[in-house]
Amino acid sequence: MCPLNFGYSVSEVKVIDLNQEKPVWLKKIFKLEPSLYRCISCGNCAAICTAGHFTEMKFYRLCLNAFRGQTSELKNNAKACILCGKCQFACPRGVNIRHAIMLITQIQQP
Amino acid sequence: MMHPFTIPFVVGFTMMFIVLIIRYSNWFRGFSIENRKRIANHMFSRKTIQALNEIFKESLLHLKIYKTNPILGYMHMSFAFGWFLLIVGGKLETWYYTGNFVNPPQYAIFFRFFHPVTEATTIHRIFDFYMEFSLLIVLSGLAIAMVKRIRKRVTGIKNTTHHTRANRFALTVLWFIFPLRLLAESATTSIHGGGSYLTKITSTLPFHTTVELPLWWAYSISLGMFFLCLPFSRYLHIPTEMITILLKKWGVKPELKLTTNKGLQAFEIHSCSGCGICLDACPAIGVGNNKFQSVYFINEMRNGKDHYKTTGLCLSCGSCQQSCPVGIKLEPLRIAARENLNSTMQFIHTYLPSKMILWPETTNVILYTGCMGRMNPRTTKSIKKLLAEANIEYIHVDEDENICCGRPMALAGAKEQAEIMISRNRDIIHSYNGKVLVTTCPICFKQFKNSYNLNLPVMHHSMYINQLMEKGKLKRHQSELNFSYHDPCELGRAFNCYDAPREVLKHAGNVIQLSMEKEKSLCCGNNMGTILLKREDRQQITDKTLTVLSKNNPDYIVTSCPVCKNTLSQQSSIPVKDIAEVLTELPGIKQKKEPSASPLPQGKAD
Repeated sequence: MCPLNFGYSVSEVKVIDLNQEKPVWLKKIFKLEPSLYRCISCGNCAAICTAGHFTEMKFYRLCLNAFRGQTSELKNNAKACILCGKCQFACPRGVNIRHAIMLITQIQQP
Repeated sequence: MMHPFTIPFVVGFTMMFIVLIIRYSNWFRGFSIENRKRIANHMFSRKTIQALNEIFKESLLHLKIYKTNPILGYMHMSFAFGWFLLIVGGKLETWYYTGNFVNPPQYAIFFRFFHPVTEATTIHRIFDFYMEFSLLIVLSGLAIAMVKRIRKRVTGIKNTTHHTRANRFALTVLWFIFPLRLLAESATTSIHGGGSYLTKITSTLPFHTTVELPLWWAYSISLGMFFLCLPFSRYLHIPTEMITILLKKWGVKPELKLTTNKGLQAFEIHSCSGCGICLDACPAIGVGNNKFQSVYFINEMRNGKDHYKTTGLCLSCGSCQQSCPVGIKLEPLRIAARENLNSTMQFIHTYLPSKMILWPETTNVILYTGCMGRMNPRTTKSIKKLLAEANIEYIHVDEDENICCGRPMALAGAKEQAEIMISRNRDIIHSYNGKVLVTTCPICFKQFKNSYNLNLPVMHHSMYINQLMEKGKLKRHQSELNFSYHDPCELGRAFNCYDAPREVLKHAGNVIQLSMEKEKSLCCGNNMGTILLKREDRQQITDKTLTVLSKNNPDYIVTSCPVCKNTLSQQSSIPVKDIAEVLTELPGIKQKKEPSASPLPQGKAD
């Protein structure tokens, strides 16, 4: 028996897989710093960031990408941070950004 | 001189000495060569006498605790000094009685058992009186200690340390020692006679002849147990504290890497008595469910437990270090612990700009506003206005984009990365020919002072403004405004800079006296020192601080730190201003103009 032919097919890249598990190291970061769940990607942190002024580092992007499972550039971007803490003043949601960055730079990313 | 009941004491006492020697020699082995040289150089110098003086004052009399809380001071003094009096008295008594100076310790301790009735000479009566008086001192301290455990508020404290099981056991044994001594001596007195005023009273209790020996056994066992527990409980602080004082006086420096059983840090960690004075001093006490105060942190380090939370939660305000009666350098210890815990952190800061200038510009003031200055443009504007008003030339080095001073990085435990930022900033600052570096941020100020080795003096803007006002370059009409001043931790506690900002404010209005200020001032709740503390908990700390600051209805809350200002203003109903803004922006405060002042063009050097 062949499957029904609807006359079109779903492109592989357009599938959102909600069953996809986060990698263990990422789960650990979210567990150690649960305030990351609060991030709404408003971009305040990036607006004020010194590292963001010179490099591609944008914390809200890191957060967003981590949620979406795009983790390849996570650690490299986070390494630019100088931990000055301006972002934590700017953050309307009280994300503990400095600790999150410290955790991200310490992970053993495969 | 020997009786079977003395055996528990002798065994415990000997075991304690063996364990102490093994542990101490291990720690001594961890000293670096420089530290060993320092010890050798200073051992036979005046420093040793100074140290002995301090040991007498702090380890026996506990004067520092006495100053913070007389009742607690008396409690610690009665235990330490009272026991010391007993030991000295026992020694002298046996020396006088036998004619030999060298006697075994158990002979002096159980002297009353061996010789219940001494000859009726005056000196023996004086000895009897003295020994019972010393015992009474210790027992009075014990009574306070018991009250403290049951009703701590009676002794004037809000929090007591929650001890581990081993410590609680040792504490119980310690509590038994002196009442048992009294009972045993009373039993002997009631049977054989003798004794002085104290045992004369207690010996009227109906003691049967058979209870005498068991009581002496119990006394000996409790002593032996205590000495056996001592090297494994917080009571290790008794001998360790004295050695730490000696080592510090000899100029021994902490080892580069923190290990709990090496060098000065080992001695420091183990000289914590767990008294809990740091608990009441901590501005974050009672906030959330966080038990990260120094006494718990030290305890975890000692026992080799996981101390990620106790190290990371702390706000590094320095209040505990200031209040510590033993004088343990808690802040460097915490940062060193963070260095160990976060040693795998990786950062790449090659992108930071470096500066090359061939012809350095000459100016009076180099202004550095720091990261937090970027979030407070109004403060920056005000300080610039003030500098212009006083006709002082300045260069604002981080007007466009700044490099962090490196202190947040160092506080997070990445010392080497902080060094990179320090060297970049130093290059930038040294690329100008300035007379003084003025910064508006106390965090940067502390870092500049302690870690930068700059070729010019550093001043915080409150100090600089005060200097300008004293010289008469800035003048203000006294107004009716009331200010309450919040001392930033990094400026006040770190550099004892309490008066300069208050002097400035007094030129402009009245400074309200607060219940918690200067040394006792609270943390704003958002220091860069903390890594883990949640926002909700930080906000609670801010709330507590604001209640103190808003008492007596001030018109403005004033501070001289951009971090404190931002944090306080987010939750305060009273406007929060920086000290520079007070002088330039407030409508009630007017510039005092004197006709004699010569009109110099602005921007020129004075």
